Amino acid sequence: MSVACLTLDDAHVGDTVRVGDVAGEDRLAIRLLEMGLTPGALVRVLGRAPFGDPVELEVRGYRLSIRRAEAARVTLEAI
Amino acid sequence: MQQPVNGTGSVALTVALLGNPNTGKSTLFTALAGIPTRVGNYPGVTVEEKIGRFSHRGRSIDLIDLPGTYSLSPQGPDEQVAVDVVHGRQPGVPRPDAIVMVVDATNLERNLFLATQATDLGLPLVVALTLTDIANRRGIHIDSSELGRRLGCPVIPIATPARQGLSELRDAILTAQTPAPLLLEDTAPAADRSPEARDAIRRYALVERLLSGTINRPTEARGLPEDQIDRLLTHRLWGTLAFVAVMLVLFSSIFWLAPPLMDLISGGMDLVSAWVGALLPPGAIRELVVDGVLAGIGGVVVFVPQIALLFLLVAALEGCGYLARAAYLMDRLLVGVGLSGKSFIPLLSSFACAIPGIMAARTIENRRDRLLTILVAPLMSCSARLPVYLLLCGAFVPNITVGFSWLRLPALVLLGMYALGVIVAAAVAFFLSQTFFRGPAQPFVMELPGWRWPQPAVVLERAREAVWSFLTNAGTLIVAMSVVIWALSTYPRNEAAIATDLAARRAAVMSRLNDPATSATDHGELAAELATFDDPADHEAARRGAIQRQSFLGRAGRFIEPVVRPLGWDWRIGCAAIASFPAREVVLGTLAVLYDLPAGEEEGTALERRLRAARWDGTNRPVFTLPVALSIMVFFALCAQCASTLVVIARETGSWIWPMVTFTYMTLLAWIGAFAIYQFGTWMRW
Repeated sequence: MSVACLTLDDAHVGDTVRVGDVAGEDRLAIRLLEMGLTPGALVRVLGRAPFGDPVELEVRGYRLSIRRAEAARVTLEAI
Repeated sequence: MQQPVNGTGSVALTVALLGNPNTGKSTLFTALAGIPTRVGNYPGVTVEEKIGRFSHRGRSIDLIDLPGTYSLSPQGPDEQVAVDVVHGRQPGVPRPDAIVMVVDATNLERNLFLATQATDLGLPLVVALTLTDIANRRGIHIDSSELGRRLGCPVIPIATPARQGLSELRDAILTAQTPAPLLLEDTAPAADRSPEARDAIRRYALVERLLSGTINRPTEARGLPEDQIDRLLTHRLWGTLAFVAVMLVLFSSIFWLAPPLMDLISGGMDLVSAWVGALLPPGAIRELVVDGVLAGIGGVVVFVPQIALLFLLVAALEGCGYLARAAYLMDRLLVGVGLSGKSFIPLLSSFACAIPGIMAARTIENRRDRLLTILVAPLMSCSARLPVYLLLCGAFVPNITVGFSWLRLPALVLLGMYALGVIVAAAVAFFLSQTFFRGPAQPFVMELPGWRWPQPAVVLERAREAVWSFLTNAGTLIVAMSVVIWALSTYPRNEAAIATDLAARRAAVMSRLNDPATSATDHGELAAELATFDDPADHEAARRGAIQRQSFLGRAGRFIEPVVRPLGWDWRIGCAAIASFPAREVVLGTLAVLYDLPAGEEEGTALERRLRAARWDGTNRPVFTLPVALSIMVFFALCAQCASTLVVIARETGSWIWPMVTFTYMTLLAWIGAFAIYQFGTWMRW
């Protein structure tokens, strides 16, 4: 199965995934990269907030929360 | 390398504390410099400026606590200020002689991202490795001397609770040198990206090289008790329940703990007023000092318990890491109306009082979200509106059950007033976010910091700073305004006009007393009212009423009567509403004065009876009916009748435009709402 089209938004709680890339060059894309979601970084999906959004991630040893619309900007690659 | 920083003579060194948010930066600031010598805003922006001073080995050092930043490519005003200061571009702040880069040992990769940018600044650099005690508990061990060798600057481990490493850090500041720039190597994924994206990707590759061999951490993160707590507190069900519990404690403490303290302050101010009043001869000066200045000061100081309590609690929640979790839990709910999860606590606090609520909006980093939160916060029904609701619900809403035997109409109307504020706030926030505040989506990217015990010194400092900035910046202006309002409601004082007013009022009461159509209950109330004109003991009340009716304020009430008539109000209600613009809590007292109630009886049933007996001038038609009571309540629910709130908005946003916007839109909405409910109620024959 190809995972090239999958984004971080599709990952399930408990999954560990690898970042392929962050789409775009805008402020949001740069901030996601600066927060450590760079190509090759491992991300674990820790949970979702009560209303399904935002999501809680573990990346580079710390906890990060981003909205699902933002998670959709992060493409994944096969581990 | 350049010369060490201590080679420049005897002037104070300027050192800036740079670091990510949540790295123990405030704790380190307090540990190094104690209470700051200067706290304020950077000119032109509402970013907090904090500077402290300490001396070490005969050198005095000015320490600048920069706003937390994730990167030196700034996003938002806070990060912009941090970057401008380190580059020496911030007006009024000298370029730092050295940088202390605060690096969180439990979160080394992302913190070193900023540290590698700091090595490019061309300034002497020291890395303070904080939270090493927590890192050790997590099984993370760092070779700080090797890391320092690779970075080209000293890395000093600090365990703040035990204050280990502080003197080494002070020594290192005096001998700091400028590191050589670190080289970024090309990596494949960065090839076709923009310069900023390429820099970020290459920089993390550099951080990975720096850490390879200098950090020893367990492959599987060691589970600590706080991780279990974290799972529970961000869980969909348990996390939500815990959140409700935390918010209940927060809310009830400002709602129930603060009032006794506030009573104590008012009691103390009453004593001071009585004492000063006894010292001064009767006359204009005494009235100015007691009713103007001292009453104004009392009106400012009375907010201190709420502000102090809220900031103690919010700082404690922030210090332990819960504030970010609360924003995470509530974000979805608020993002739908154009706010964000961080708006929740400021809005909730505003139910007690909008002033601490608006000040608590400082915890929202995003400027747009913060401004929107501040603009709608005064719509939350604060505790000063409650007495108005209670009086009018009790006196004019029929005490009948609705559906269930335990649910009575007055309670439902009271609940409705609270709901009205929330619904209108949501609508206003949504409207503003779709129109004037329209723009690219605001990133929510938010760190959920590790759990740790809040540092008491940092928590106390936050509360002290909040109280101090309220008293010095907003307080002085509020006192000045209350003196002006006092003058407007006291002058001009024309004894002849007062005598005419009293005679006319007495004649009106007499004619209704003699009217056979007057009911028995009204008869009793009218007899009591007559006594205020004739009984020398009560005469002062009637005189106060006459003075106020003849003052600028009373004239304004008559002048605006055509505007308030469509709301079902007579000129006295209009007058009371105008008098309540500085502070809505005065409305009951003003109504009592305008309806000649003896002093000290403005609360409870005496005022209720007097309002029930009120008639339109020259008729037997009651002023207060259910639609009128509802229209007054809706007006008070939506109107910006609080000068202190407006002053605090000006101070927190750094501009008088925003209080003007708030005042205008709220007053318009209040009038429209009151008009709608009165006309609808009259049409429904309530």
